[in-house]
Amino acid sequence: MAFGQLIARRMLLLLLVLFGVTVITFSVSHLVPGDPARMLVGQRASQEMVEQMRRQLGLDRPVWEQYLRYMRDLVRGNLGISIRTQRPVSEDLVIFFPATLELALTAMFLAVVVGIPLGIVSATRKDSLADHVSRLVSVAGVSTPLFWLGLVVLLVFYGRLGWLPGSGRLDPFIPAPPRVTGFLLLDSLLAGRPDAFWNALRHLILPALCLSYVHLAVVTRQVRASMLEVLSQDYIRTALANGIPGRSVIYRHALKNALIPTVTVVGLAIGDLLGGAILTETIFAWPGMGSYVVDSINFLDFPAIMGFTVFIAVGYVLINLVVDLAYMWLDPRIRAVG
Amino acid sequence: MRTSRKAVAVLVVLLVVGLLGTACTGKKAEAPSAPAKPAGVPPDTLVIGVAEDADNLDPAVTVTNNSWAITYPCYQRLMRYKVVNGQGSTEVEGDLAESWEVSQDGLVWTFKLKQGFKFDDGTPVDARAVKFTFDRLRKVGKGPFDAFPTLESVEVVSDYVVRFKLNAPFPPFIYTLANNGASIVNPKVMEHEQGGDQGQAYLAEHTMGSGPYRLVEWAKDQYFKLELNPHWPGPKPKFTTVMFKIIKDPSARRLQLERGDLDIAEELPIDQLEELKKNPDIDVREFPSLSVVYVYLNCKRKPLDNVKFRQALSYATDYQGIIKGVMLGKAVQMRGPVPQGMWGHAPDLFQYSLDLEKAKQLLAESGVKTPVTLGYLYADRDPTWEPIGLSLQSTFGQLGIKVEMQKLAYATMRDKLDRGDFDLAVGNWSPDFADPYMYMNYWFDSEFFGLAGNRAFYQNSRVDDLIRRAARITDQAEREKLYRQAQEIIIQEAPYIFLFQRNYMVAFRKNVKGYVFQPMLVNIFNTADMSKE
Repeated sequence: MAFGQLIARRMLLLLLVLFGVTVITFSVSHLVPGDPARMLVGQRASQEMVEQMRRQLGLDRPVWEQYLRYMRDLVRGNLGISIRTQRPVSEDLVIFFPATLELALTAMFLAVVVGIPLGIVSATRKDSLADHVSRLVSVAGVSTPLFWLGLVVLLVFYGRLGWLPGSGRLDPFIPAPPRVTGFLLLDSLLAGRPDAFWNALRHLILPALCLSYVHLAVVTRQVRASMLEVLSQDYIRTALANGIPGRSVIYRHALKNALIPTVTVVGLAIGDLLGGAILTETIFAWPGMGSYVVDSINFLDFPAIMGFTVFIAVGYVLINLVVDLAYMWLDPRIRAVG
Repeated sequence: MRTSRKAVAVLVVLLVVGLLGTACTGKKAEAPSAPAKPAGVPPDTLVIGVAEDADNLDPAVTVTNNSWAITYPCYQRLMRYKVVNGQGSTEVEGDLAESWEVSQDGLVWTFKLKQGFKFDDGTPVDARAVKFTFDRLRKVGKGPFDAFPTLESVEVVSDYVVRFKLNAPFPPFIYTLANNGASIVNPKVMEHEQGGDQGQAYLAEHTMGSGPYRLVEWAKDQYFKLELNPHWPGPKPKFTTVMFKIIKDPSARRLQLERGDLDIAEELPIDQLEELKKNPDIDVREFPSLSVVYVYLNCKRKPLDNVKFRQALSYATDYQGIIKGVMLGKAVQMRGPVPQGMWGHAPDLFQYSLDLEKAKQLLAESGVKTPVTLGYLYADRDPTWEPIGLSLQSTFGQLGIKVEMQKLAYATMRDKLDRGDFDLAVGNWSPDFADPYMYMNYWFDSEFFGLAGNRAFYQNSRVDDLIRRAARITDQAEREKLYRQAQEIIIQEAPYIFLFQRNYMVAFRKNVKGYVFQPMLVNIFNTADMSKE
């Protein structure tokens, strides 16, 4: 199947996914007991004020009608007004999402750049000291609670050594670069502000390291397992028997095949990270989606919860699409069969 | 094979050493002797570490302390809380108001305003601005307006004289004028109005007041930056910049305070505050607050509708154990509903204490057959709620009353409270204005069933009568007498278990001076009067 066909099919699928996701989230969030109108007017407000607020928010209408209204607005690109922050949800997402994405991409970048070589070394030198060390690193990564790791890293590198800043994305005393992309690193470069770039980078290091460690472990283990499987295949033995140098066999023949499952893992991990690395964001006071969503859930802020869910659902579908395109690029058989 | 085993052994040793190493470093860093760099904050700047971002900064909309902490220093109000001998109080004095008089029937209040105050754009604060503010409060109609239930109209008498008319006497009125909701807003906010919203969208993220400070930047979920109002006529505050950094994790807040990146850290857990006291650079200050924690007994439900049964529960509560164990002693047992520090509190009223024999006797007299199971409704919003439930579970258990812990999401818990769908539930309460009305009328008037305040669904016509009378007259001595009579009945009928009032604790760097704790303004700092050495 051609790339174009795949993309078209996925776009259709996206509509179905969106329908399913909105119906489910909408019904669940409206079935949970709790009254956002009451939250908004304050606990001591009179019943009339609560009723008036319910009318204003449209909460007095039947649920199906509220849903239809929501979908109508959604089609027009309007995600509604957050009950908690009283700002358009889309505006909130634009504020918080780039922070999360910047953190997630950096963490994923670190995980891939370190994880893949570590996995290869581990597989090609199976049962050697290097293999044990890399397996130990990855087992520790999978089993280390993130909040603990975050606190220890914070205590050591900020509290004790004072090498890196302990919270936020940028020192509040440094004027922020004008917002273009929302990625501070990029925006600082665009504005020609090396001071802001350096400061933002220093802020990014600790949370990104913590977050990447967990995923690094997964990537390493995945690469190791699939490399081992590929390396035991006949064609590898044939290649080696034909005198092709080991290095070339590993990197040109084995790795490319071993990467296919890894791409899936990485894709899913990115999806996961976009949902907000809540613990990391909390410990490092990183102003991302994680805490926004948790606060919204606690407040039963329907529009914000819905907006976030829709956004993440779209994100997942798109990431899956990218993953599939990557498969095609990596594996000609998939390109042929579809 | 042998080599690989050896390697494994080496690795295990490395792992253990490594883990011990990190643990030790962690511990060392936590120790008070950890070297802290000299404070990184300039002397004309105050940095406060807070746990939560604000939701909305419009005084006519927000009902949360996180927002008030930002808006309070940016606006002025007609009244303010008095400082008596360097200490805060629940009494009020004129802020923008120079003088005022009230008609005999308590329905007409006339205020003369001080001249010379200006909003941060230079517009003078006059009677029109006051009228605009209260008209707007009514039109917006959200939580803050609830503090003015009898306000009928506001008239401009002259440039600096304004008159309020009430449709029924409401003695707490003068106190409610010191509320955040009564902050006087620059009428020019209407230039930012969108679709008839009274400028709500704009004011949600900006301030337009006449206080000593104004908001210059709000980086969502990161920080607030306040700078001086250029038109402030009073003495120039020492801090030209005040920053609120939002750091949700308490350990991270504590670390930043110890390193000098924060001058003040709020809402630290009690155990961390105890540790912080050992740090010579940190000053942990403690104040009795008006915020109370109590347990609602649903009087509509069997067997909690039985007075003797409720009394038995009040006797079967380990007040001192809870204060020591859960609050580490940082609280005072309540004596009736009105806390110490609020006028109307009577120090000679009856106070329950743990007495299981007495409780057993009352239980027998109540005729309620044990074993009985009661649900205890709570959420993870407040970390004290769970251990309180566990304490009740243990002492009630000795009477044959089984307590079932029912933990729910806070929003769901609130919904159940409102509908009266619970047996026992726990809650916190702090007053919006400095009047015992906040406790007596909200908690016991049968018109306020549910979340509004009467969460025990308690009904007693004699109490209704006493507290409603107290809410109509302005003579404070007379009101105090009525509230006292009501309290005696209430304590005897035990619709709530009155647990404790918390101490408010906050950690400062030692060099921060001039803070005055106002019991009505918890989490709000008098930044204009504070300084750093």
